[in-house]
Amino acid sequence: MNAFFRKNLLSAATLIVILIFFIAAAQGMNSQDFVITFLRGLSVGAVTFLVASGFSLIFGLLDVLNLAHGTLFMIGAYIGWTVFVRPDTFADLLTPFALILSGFALRDMYPLLSARVRLGLRMRRILPWALIIVSVLLLGLILPRYPIAGWNLDNYAESPVTYSFMASQGTPLPPPTATFDQISPALAIGGLLLASLFGSFGLFLFDQSVQRSPRLSWRSYAGFVVLLLVGLIAFIFNSALTAFLLGLNANWLFFIAVIVATLSGAGLGALMEATLIRPLYSRPIYQLMLTIGLSAIGVQIVQAVWGRPEFVMPKPTLFNGSGASCPATSFSSWWQGNCSTILLLGGRVRTYNEIFIPLIGLLVLVAVWILLQRTRLGMIIRAGVQDREMVEALGINVRRVFTMVFALGVGLATLGGALAAPSMGLSNAMGESFLLNALIALAIGGLTSYPGAALGSLLVGLIQQFIIKYGQIGISIPFTSIVLKPTPPIVPASTVLLMVIILLIMPNGLLGKKE
Amino acid sequence: MNHDIIVETINLSKQFGALVAVDNVNIKVRRNSLHAIIGPNGAGKTTFFNLLSGNIEPTSGKVMFKGSDLTHQPVHRMIHHGIGRSFQITNIFPNLTVFENVRLASQALEKSNFKFWMNVSRLEKCEYRTWEVIEKVGLKERAHAPARTLPHGDQRKLELGMILAPDPEVLLLDEPTAGMAAEQVPELLALIQEIQKTGNKTVILVEHNMNVVMSVSDIITVMHLGKVLAEGTPAEIAANREVQTAYLGGLYELNV
Amino acid sequence: MQKKAFSFFHNNRASLIVLFALVLLPFIVGLFEGASPIVVWENQGGISKFVEGLGIEIFILALYALSYDLIFGVTGLLSFGHAMFFAVGAYLTGIALKSFALSLPAVIGLVFLAAILQALLFGLVLPRVKGITFALVTLGMASMFHIIVTSSELGNYTGADVGLQGVMVPSFINPANERLRFYFVALVVLILIYLLYQRFVNSPTGRVCVAIRENEGRAKMLGYNTFAFKLAALMLSSFAAALAGVLHALYQPIVSPNVADLSFTVTALLIVLIGGVGTLSGALIGAFVYRLLDFGLRRYIGENASFITGTIYVAFVLFIPYGMVGTWRLKSFRVAQGWRRLLAAFKT
Repeated sequence: MNAFFRKNLLSAATLIVILIFFIAAAQGMNSQDFVITFLRGLSVGAVTFLVASGFSLIFGLLDVLNLAHGTLFMIGAYIGWTVFVRPDTFADLLTPFALILSGFALRDMYPLLSARVRLGLRMRRILPWALIIVSVLLLGLILPRYPIAGWNLDNYAESPVTYSFMASQGTPLPPPTATFDQISPALAIGGLLLASLFGSFGLFLFDQSVQRSPRLSWRSYAGFVVLLLVGLIAFIFNSALTAFLLGLNANWLFFIAVIVATLSGAGLGALMEATLIRPLYSRPIYQLMLTIGLSAIGVQIVQAVWGRPEFVMPKPTLFNGSGASCPATSFSSWWQGNCSTILLLGGRVRTYNEIFIPLIGLLVLVAVWILLQRTRLGMIIRAGVQDREMVEALGINVRRVFTMVFALGVGLATLGGALAAPSMGLSNAMGESFLLNALIALAIGGLTSYPGAALGSLLVGLIQQFIIKYGQIGISIPFTSIVLKPTPPIVPASTVLLMVIILLIMPNGLLGKKE
Repeated sequence: MNHDIIVETINLSKQFGALVAVDNVNIKVRRNSLHAIIGPNGAGKTTFFNLLSGNIEPTSGKVMFKGSDLTHQPVHRMIHHGIGRSFQITNIFPNLTVFENVRLASQALEKSNFKFWMNVSRLEKCEYRTWEVIEKVGLKERAHAPARTLPHGDQRKLELGMILAPDPEVLLLDEPTAGMAAEQVPELLALIQEIQKTGNKTVILVEHNMNVVMSVSDIITVMHLGKVLAEGTPAEIAANREVQTAYLGGLYELNV
Repeated sequence: MQKKAFSFFHNNRASLIVLFALVLLPFIVGLFEGASPIVVWENQGGISKFVEGLGIEIFILALYALSYDLIFGVTGLLSFGHAMFFAVGAYLTGIALKSFALSLPAVIGLVFLAAILQALLFGLVLPRVKGITFALVTLGMASMFHIIVTSSELGNYTGADVGLQGVMVPSFINPANERLRFYFVALVVLILIYLLYQRFVNSPTGRVCVAIRENEGRAKMLGYNTFAFKLAALMLSSFAAALAGVLHALYQPIVSPNVADLSFTVTALLIVLIGGVGTLSGALIGAFVYRLLDFGLRRYIGENASFITGTIYVAFVLFIPYGMVGTWRLKSFRVAQGWRRLLAAFKT
């Protein structure tokens, strides 16, 4: 015990100092302000944690500083918005996505196919290029003509901002149902499938080195069949699906939106790791440049698709009520009235922002903790963070684990984005600011420590919110009559200053492992 | 003070948590001797060595060099006192040429290291010394090849060259033959012996392969479980029952 | 003696040709427009003045990137706070000229002192933090500086969010009337710093810096106090970056707080990576390519330019990993390798 204390003296001292500051901060603030500010801090902390924990897992295991993480967080928010506010767009997109991906699911079959095809050397060289060109041409012909209900950035009345506003007002959207008027449905479906098959086979053929003959089992086809079925069903029952989603209870729709955002984030992460990050493990600096480049691309895509103006995603009905019984006085009355606010210790607290998000943050914290501590994958991840070579030496397929961790990390970020969208709104800059928050949180808590990510995020959230609050009410400096009102730039400065101080005292952060 | 003793450790100990890696070790190394430290795996040789070279700080005890206390000197001062060390795992500048590697080593004692406006080739003494050392370790033909392209044996020679270049009085060699092909070992040992004899240098050598040291060393210290088990001439050590049991207990063959 | 001179010209013929071309460039561009060299000399040419302006921007950017290459490429220190080095020079110049009406030599002296001070500030954390933590601490310091210059409390001096404007530039170097002279001054400063850096890399100090990049622990064991060498590199780098800042403040009508931002450090990183890490000349070529690319894309494509620049960076990383100069020296493109790496994703 004594030895433990002595070893962690520095961390303990730092924590005590922070605690003293915190108690000092609570002085001169009435209890309802305190509760609200505290809960807001928890809320920002929870979202920061979702970004930071994924970042830290990726950095710890893969040594990749994923500077695109903030952008991915932002993309998660926009995907969640799309599914929630424009489910018809989502239903329309399902078919082409599933069809384009389906060809890649047949990966295991291609070696067999390429072994069957007997061609001269020259043809062998031309063939992949030809296939890819045909595939790109097909996609270029079909996709612009494929009907997808969407929005129009140039026309304000049909822009995401307007749709978002209408949805939050409860006005039903007049969905301009997209119809196949430029291309016949059969041609579109067949063409997309063909393009996918050609494209994936062509890409496969580039890689001449694959010579192993695979054992074909039902698994080799399962992915393809599932994707094909999803695509076709979404196509045939498109209008029914759209009607179903539009008629769905907004709570369930929100749930679906969050799930879709998380899963597409995970998919995006896996794709990114497999194609772009993996080639660069031997050159860490280039990963920086790559992720910076990807980040710029991501922001541009978001600007091109969803536009530059900021808007807020409506809250699910569970947190959106404003009936006679609101603000709720207890949780049971909230449950009955689905109030957007609740009275806690005299303060009006927003149920979604300040209760729901911290709870989800806690849930994710525990879930990932269990994943890390109790499962085989978690064990491999933890061991890999400690000593990557050793895990490789044990004959574990580290590559696949890497891809999974990357997918998990990005999935956590997009989950955070989708959850943050109703409370913090969607903007092109949200990614960058939360990436900075997450970096600071990790530097404070320890770059590769999972509990450190939680602690750091919590501190960052709380400090920011308290400083903002003091910007409004002013802080009286002890023993003087001066009332200091921190100006807005002090908010980032306070956390940055904390980071610099903590790093100078403890280069590995509060909970980081010692070298 | 006995001027015949150049390096001395006084009750040197190092603890890692509960593990006592080096336990009250007292060793006296005579000037111009080739002193080998051997022991089975886990005997604490490498830790002891790191204590000697200042890479880690001891929990207690002192390292004395020519009568002065060097225990808390920063690592980069050691060579200025005249102590150079090599590493068990080849530790060179992989992307620089052999010549650069050795020159960096010999440049360390130059006075004009901060003359950033001067071309480095104008340090003529340093240049001369570099060629001398490269010739001595037999890497003249490969002098302008990047160090990473060298075969392992040559990298060990380069490592040796890098500690010879600043001309230290005491050479600390951490398993100089580690990972070398068996037929290259005698060549390197002969080189070490020649350097020690002709240059009037003190060599402290860590090995876990006993055969290597028997033929070349003047004094052998055997370490076991962090303590000194025995000390003496090769013949005495070979005859020592305790040493035999320690090595046999560690499942190690002793075929002298 | 004659032979020595000849071999100097022979060995450096490529650099000399480039230099010669840069000196003549404003006049040649003027000729295309039909303006005689005399007109250009009197700063009246329209398009040649524009080209001079672009050239000045490139020289400033190149100087800044060069200074980053010295600490990142040569010494191996990853700093995310390099923009601060530049911004301190720019803001100090602007404030000293505008609010305190100091003379230019005095300003440069002041900037020199500030450059040393900020290098010492970074040096303060050097022994404690390494690698990515150093990057984060420097990022923190630069963010603090960014916050200070954008805070409204100092708005009278720094111009807060808008940036510093209305700097009275001494008339003999005023970029509006004496742009050609400014062009040559910037060129000369860039060349001098470049030559100084070349000397540095080949000096005893510089060789140790390279050794630190390669294997810091070993450099320490060889008997070098690596901290002192890193600090020396930081100082030299800080000085050149601050000098670039001085030129920036003199040339641009407004010093925007963006130059203290993380993205400006990233600009330096990208330029160095495009040109080739640790090559010095790569920073010059990288700045040229970066600025022209940025200019061209913005002009012809408009808003979505950074989508294309982002794609180009990604392609660079995958296919030209050693940068332009590095690839030139290796005489081999890594395109085939890049493809293979990308396609390796299809193997499980």
